[in-house]
Amino acid sequence: MTTLERLAALLHKEFGIAAETLLPEATLESLDIDSLRMLEILFSVEEEFAITVPGDHGELKARIKTLGDLAVYVDDLLSPGADSAP
Amino acid sequence: MRRVAVTGLGVVAPLATGAAAFFDALVAGRSGVRVLEHLAHGATVVPIGAAAQFDAAAHFAPARLRMLDRVSQMALVAAAEALAQAGAALEGAKETACVCVGTGMGGAQATDDGYRILYAEKSERIPPYSVLMAMNNAAAAWIGIDHGLGGANLTFSTACSSSAVAIGEAFRRVARGECEVAIAGGAEAPLTVGTLKAWGAMRTLAPADASDPAASCKPFARDRAGLVLGEGAAMVVLEPLDRARARGARVIAELAGYGLCTDASHITRPSVEGQSRALALALADAALAPEQVGYMNAHGTATEANDAVETAAIRRVWGAHADRVPVSSTKSMHGHLLGAAGALEFVAALIALERSVLPPTLHLDHPDPACDLDYVPLAARAVARFEATVSSSFAFGGTNAVLVARRARGRTGGSRNGMEKSTQQP
Repeated sequence: MTTLERLAALLHKEFGIAAETLLPEATLESLDIDSLRMLEILFSVEEEFAITVPGDHGELKARIKTLGDLAVYVDDLLSPGADSAP
Repeated sequence: MRRVAVTGLGVVAPLATGAAAFFDALVAGRSGVRVLEHLAHGATVVPIGAAAQFDAAAHFAPARLRMLDRVSQMALVAAAEALAQAGAALEGAKETACVCVGTGMGGAQATDDGYRILYAEKSERIPPYSVLMAMNNAAAAWIGIDHGLGGANLTFSTACSSSAVAIGEAFRRVARGECEVAIAGGAEAPLTVGTLKAWGAMRTLAPADASDPAASCKPFARDRAGLVLGEGAAMVVLEPLDRARARGARVIAELAGYGLCTDASHITRPSVEGQSRALALALADAALAPEQVGYMNAHGTATEANDAVETAAIRRVWGAHADRVPVSSTKSMHGHLLGAAGALEFVAALIALERSVLPPTLHLDHPDPACDLDYVPLAARAVARFEATVSSSFAFGGTNAVLVARRARGRTGGSRNGMEKSTQQP
């Protein structure tokens, strides 16, 4: 399972987002993910991938506009050398 | 000042979800008190309590549930029922519509969960919605958001009188013309390990009755041993009586009086002076004489102190008529809902007024000489139509709140005679 597939499964199962809308190019806005919901999603993502998302909201907002962006961001945290110590 | 009608009721409670089903269970003399095995925590004494008959998953999608403490879940469901019963109450009135909710502890489960994660699990992974779930005004805020109510959105926290105060303050706002509709009531979800432990430490909780845990709460009885915590929510819809009639709404009753005062003497000890003052203020506000009251839903906590003091307070205000006014404590069946108690018991009193059936004080097998009123012991009672009903709430902190409702008259008045089909005969 790719990171994108795992993210899509998580968002569908835990947040009730329709599976067919969970495409890489889908914007957070189109998925009805506001900043508050994003906090809860990141909390779940941390558990699912055993990573720690740094608390820099500015960077998160700038980097993550779509589901694909989120997958890339998670992959970066998972890659060796990343600051992903739980 | 405008006269105020009650046009909708909503209940999530031990025994039942739904106001009518809840009242049916009271009349049937059922107790919702149970042993709470799952909340035993290194305990030598297994806790008891009255859990709401409520499955949150049947009402909310999983993503929504993650944002709502149980207290808000129950408040939202009770509010939706009350608004549905009130029909088109909100039409043209949303912009100023007011929400008044009483709660003593707010999102107690979210608070409990956060501390467990932090201190017991030694983790720092506090769920990001913890603040939004635990804050005391969450229930009121969500009701306003879900129904688009743009007027005052207020939360009252005066311990065990919180929701009586919320209803009373909403009543004043409608009467003064500050809003055309108010939804008012209370919610409490105190059945958490931490809350039960804290109440246990005060030595105010009744131990489980040895032969029947469901009979542990014994208001006004000689063998009463303390209160039993319960959870739930109850809401009423209030609007001007003239408006309710003009739009053809079913008027359940007229909310006619509100008495509010404070003991200003002791943080826990109830006072005859304070309780009787609140009762007298409420009767005067409703312009009713004591003999016009045909049923009183007492605070009746089943603590040693309250029940004798409350009896004396009623005697002081009702005088020679005190022996003729039936007074019951339905806490014997649904437990003490703390901040939601006043609203739930007010709903019970309203339905008693509407149906002319009085819910009993259960488990009153051994009368106490210090408690010598007619407590409608052991079984419900069908009575002749009566004029008015009183619901009393007295709190730690000393805030005493009393609500008085009277039978609605007129062409659309909801004063149906006799009992409804669903009511079980006592």
